[in-house]
Amino acid sequence: MSFADWLRADRLPHIWCSGCSNGTILNCTLAAVEAEGWDPDRTVFVSGIGCSSRAPGYISTDSLHTTHGRALAFATGVKLADPSLNVVVFTGDGDLAAIGGNHFIHACRRNIDLTVVCMNNLIYGMTGGQGSPTTPIGALSTTTPYGASEPAFDLVALAVAAGANHVARWTAYHVRELERAVQTGLETPGLSFIEVRAGCPTNYGRKNRLREVTDLAEYFRTKSMLKAKFDRLVAEGRPVPSDAIVVGEFVRRSNPAMGVVP
Amino acid sequence: MQGNTASAEGAIAAGCRFFGGYPITPSTEVAEAMARRMPKIGGVFVQMEDEIASIAAVIGASWTGKKAMTSTSGPGFSLMLENIGFALMTETPLVIVNVQRGGPSTGQPTMSAQGDMLQCRFGSHGDMAVIALAPDSVQEMYDLTVKAFNLAERFRCPAFLMADEIIGHMRERIELPDHVDVVDRRPLESGHLPYEAGEDGVPGFPVFGTGHRVHVTGLTHDERGYPVTTDPVLHEALVRRLVGKVENARREIADYRVTNPDAEVVFVCYGSPARAVQQVVADHPDLGLGILRLRLVWPFPEHALAEFPNARVFLVPEQNLGQVAREVERHVLVPVVSVPKLGGELHTPAELLRAIEEARSR
Amino acid sequence: MKLVIDENRCKGCNLCTLVCPYRIFRPGTRANRKGVLVPELDRPERCTNCRLQGLYGRTLCGVCQLTCPDQAIGWVRERPYEPAKIEVEY
Repeated sequence: MSFADWLRADRLPHIWCSGCSNGTILNCTLAAVEAEGWDPDRTVFVSGIGCSSRAPGYISTDSLHTTHGRALAFATGVKLADPSLNVVVFTGDGDLAAIGGNHFIHACRRNIDLTVVCMNNLIYGMTGGQGSPTTPIGALSTTTPYGASEPAFDLVALAVAAGANHVARWTAYHVRELERAVQTGLETPGLSFIEVRAGCPTNYGRKNRLREVTDLAEYFRTKSMLKAKFDRLVAEGRPVPSDAIVVGEFVRRSNPAMGVVP
Repeated sequence: MQGNTASAEGAIAAGCRFFGGYPITPSTEVAEAMARRMPKIGGVFVQMEDEIASIAAVIGASWTGKKAMTSTSGPGFSLMLENIGFALMTETPLVIVNVQRGGPSTGQPTMSAQGDMLQCRFGSHGDMAVIALAPDSVQEMYDLTVKAFNLAERFRCPAFLMADEIIGHMRERIELPDHVDVVDRRPLESGHLPYEAGEDGVPGFPVFGTGHRVHVTGLTHDERGYPVTTDPVLHEALVRRLVGKVENARREIADYRVTNPDAEVVFVCYGSPARAVQQVVADHPDLGLGILRLRLVWPFPEHALAEFPNARVFLVPEQNLGQVAREVERHVLVPVVSVPKLGGELHTPAELLRAIEEARSR
Repeated sequence: MKLVIDENRCKGCNLCTLVCPYRIFRPGTRANRKGVLVPELDRPERCTNCRLQGLYGRTLCGVCQLTCPDQAIGWVRERPYEPAKIEVEY
């Protein structure tokens, strides 16, 4: 059995644009779930609203496609009511960091036994490319036509500070690393948060000089910096490029968690 | 026992094993009672970060097959509206206890009101039919909470217990029955699609983790549960079924009490104002007054108004500016007089008598 | 095993042309009936997975399959090799 067997083949091809990273992230997550040996009948995928949140509809398990920003609150109910179910949450940057920001920090605080995969494409894709809380300063979108002026959220730092047991960041280019990170998340009791930098060629790339899908992949490949290297540069007081995407595992700990089968 | 506590006990008797809530006056005692009781009976109590999260968790829990509820008051209920629509669309059984207080906005947190009667009926976006009950005593806080669960499970929709601060905080002696009739949701039979409804319009429930691999979405969906958002015929059929399954059962689930059906002057009331009305009617048997007391307000039991063939006028005392009075007006040809009372206190007998006088002189 | 691209699912993003270590995928030049330029395969028998998946009993590289956002790349089992029957006529 491979990860492809977890898909609802009758619903493919999916609605995502050509070159959208969401499909890649879906593959990697399913590959991790498959490697973990989870039973599809005992696994629930939960999501909110947005491009990323369409993912559970393509997976042949029980799946809950909820309201904007509330995926983690719904997932909390599912997991607490039946801790024997395996629950994975797909969410996006607008869903998680903007409208669902409060649920995010509280889910991390409760440290509830969920795995949260955030497809962070730096933009609201479904509604046509508006700026989100993770849009970097200077980036163009339909609501930041002169360049984003608000500072962006660092979701990883937020999750670490709020108390999640496992936090990692990768990009959609790092498929094997991402698969392993998700698998570590599935194995870790407590909340596991994996931020995945995703490419949105249609709405983000087109406006920000990353017009081709392969440009975005190349961008992820060249701008990513392993956390170990980043830490070393900082420790040595050497300069770190401001647009570096620091990837790797940021925390793994075993603080008390909720919703774990005793 | 206090009204709010009675509601919690009723929920437990009805089989509720999940409570997600957020503190809000004057409903907090429901959550407090649940926090004490749930861990002892193998249930789950969780205090969420806000009312939106509360109802979200309740919906999530309901999909694992647990009977689930939350309690709140007006401001919290307003926050829940979007997810109430989600529960209606996905046909998720759950119960919301709304102990109403004075509004708009923060209003009068510790005073009684019935200002959410239309909010619960029409508040979420799109066309919908809801079930709303209104208790007028602590005993009914218990009984009608049980009934709310039974109706929610039977029709796979949210059911509201629209209490008010007076009933919620009142203490009365009540009788806890040894046995309550409990309705459990019908599981989805294998071989059926998840949203394939029977004649009553209610599909079987595919509990998460039982191998149905159902996709639950708030988008317009087909019988498989897959999103189909651009088919006008399918959307209309779905919305009509969701509304019809409740509205068509209007007579069957109607719950009201008739006093003196020969009366010419008839009070239509629900919730705490019914207590003042009952007092006035008992004190003045010579006035020939009748009462239609609604224990279930939505779907509105319009046929109940025909129980008073001699009625010349209907008086509707409410702790709002006439929200249900308007609904009564739609269904009768004789005058309907709204008797509003704002501010959080009950109608006094004198006020009701004055309303009777004015109605008679019309 | 044989490497195949599902033309019904492929949306022509060309990510596979970037990630394959053997450069087996080449940007397509001919539009299919959906108007998608599906990548072409350049000597797919060089693919590790094609050659050795049967031997090792697991997916070996598979980066193209994992990366493909449209779930269009897969391997199918080839029919067992049957020696061609040759009738020699004199």
